[in-house]
Amino acid sequence: MTLTWLGWLAGVLGLVAAGFGAVLLPRRRARAGGRATAWSTARSAIDIAAVSRDACPARVAEAEHLLARAESLAADRGGVAAAHQATEYARRADRLWRQAADA
Amino acid sequence: MHERRARRRPEWLRWACLGAAALALGVFVVAQRQSIDVSYGRSPSSSDGVQEGSAGELSDATVPPVDEMTAMLRANDVVRLPGSIARWDTRRVRAAIGGRDVRILVAPPGLDEAERDRVRDVDNATIRVIGLRVTGDVYQATADSLPGWRSQFATGDVTSLLLTMIAGLHDEPSPPDVDLLRWREPAAAEIGRVAAALRERGTYVGEGATVTRVPAERARSALPGGALFVVLPQQPFTAALPRFGPALTRLFPGRPIVVQYGSWIEYHGPRAAGFAEVAAASFYAQFGDRLSTYAYPQSAVLGAYLDRVTDVRYAGLFDRPLPYQPPDPLRVALPALPWVFAGCVAVFVVLSVRPGRRSSVVAERRGSPARLAGLTALAVEVSALTDGPSDAALTRAITALTAAREALGRRLAEPHVHALLDQAEAELADTARLLGRKDYRPDVYLRGALA
Repeated sequence: MTLTWLGWLAGVLGLVAAGFGAVLLPRRRARAGGRATAWSTARSAIDIAAVSRDACPARVAEAEHLLARAESLAADRGGVAAAHQATEYARRADRLWRQAADA
Repeated sequence: MHERRARRRPEWLRWACLGAAALALGVFVVAQRQSIDVSYGRSPSSSDGVQEGSAGELSDATVPPVDEMTAMLRANDVVRLPGSIARWDTRRVRAAIGGRDVRILVAPPGLDEAERDRVRDVDNATIRVIGLRVTGDVYQATADSLPGWRSQFATGDVTSLLLTMIAGLHDEPSPPDVDLLRWREPAAAEIGRVAAALRERGTYVGEGATVTRVPAERARSALPGGALFVVLPQQPFTAALPRFGPALTRLFPGRPIVVQYGSWIEYHGPRAAGFAEVAAASFYAQFGDRLSTYAYPQSAVLGAYLDRVTDVRYAGLFDRPLPYQPPDPLRVALPALPWVFAGCVAVFVVLSVRPGRRSSVVAERRGSPARLAGLTALAVEVSALTDGPSDAALTRAITALTAAREALGRRLAEPHVHALLDQAEAELADTARLLGRKDYRPDVYLRGALA
């Protein structure tokens, strides 16, 4: 009788594990993908800001400060929220340098 | 063609496996409704013995109102209500009572709930005898041996029960049971009459017995081999009982013989030593209480007894051959079901894992590599012409393109790659504007490249 229950138990555990797997695996994959995407965006924004800095004839202290903060956030390798924050800082810095260059 | 079939097969196979698993589970759950049957050979006796009310155990007898019974009991030590069947040895009981005030109320059997309550409400009754059931205070006296049940149910003798009850009510040790039943050899005329009836019909029903018909089906399953039935009404308490069993065994050797006196049933004949006592003891131990309270017709008692004999026979205690029983496919399959279920689940899971991974590998790319290539070619072409501000725009465009290529290589989401390419395209458009070259605007350039 114990053997019989073992069979049911194994089957049910298999089904439950498969169900959890079916839900959790894509979710985890999507989360990892979202994180990678966010950091990819952040890094490209930082690189572009760096290019704008090099092209700007004058020094803009505020933009440099913002870029430094973005780079330190990127160095810490946080989550999606940190990546968005870093993107935001880098874009603001980029805008400041472009305005300085246009002026 | 072959490859396609090979890919399609696991698809229906895995859903078939899931269906089979669900079916196994469903069958298992439905099979749980089966009652637990511990009979060795699936005994054909009905499992619910004697049923309340349905067997005609309620008699027509009634009892007078409570205050009337109380008044009667105040006037007499012993009150016998009309229809009562309990008898006892008055000399012994009186001796046991001695000088104490013990009042006995005797009611007929087969009273319904309300009438029994009325008897219980008679406060000055020390001992109440309802039918053959002896109660007093919080006690009930019950026979616990075959001679005890025999004298109780064959002749309505409650002497032992009353003596036990009196002793119990006064905290005295229980006296030994007294067996007042006496046997006599039946007269030749009696035997002749019974034997003639048995030869003719297989059944002899005495005057006053409440048997209309012996349950033939139950008799066959209980006692195969043509059982003979002698049914006599409850015997008078004072008279000796005619001992029909041994006499009839001599006349009908090898035939099962059932002799019933009132509610007491005896078996004589082949294998009597093997099971008669077991059957009787288990039957009266279980139903004695009901038989003493109610007025069951003798045919109901006989049917229940035959069922008990069938159960004993099918219990496999005695080496009696059983009819062939085909195996129940459900019972054969039941132990295998969990493994079928587990196996189906395993196959389903194994088959389900692969398609999931393959679909992520085949991530469709809609146009982003071509767009990246086109924009990169434009950037390379423009790079020879830029200077100053346009140089910065171009460098930003190339940075965005590098990020897009990296994202493409890491298989990041398609919208993200396109967003980076949009950024590069905007920078390249800026470059073309700064250079004043409309033909290097990305939209124009890409349209030309594609044409």
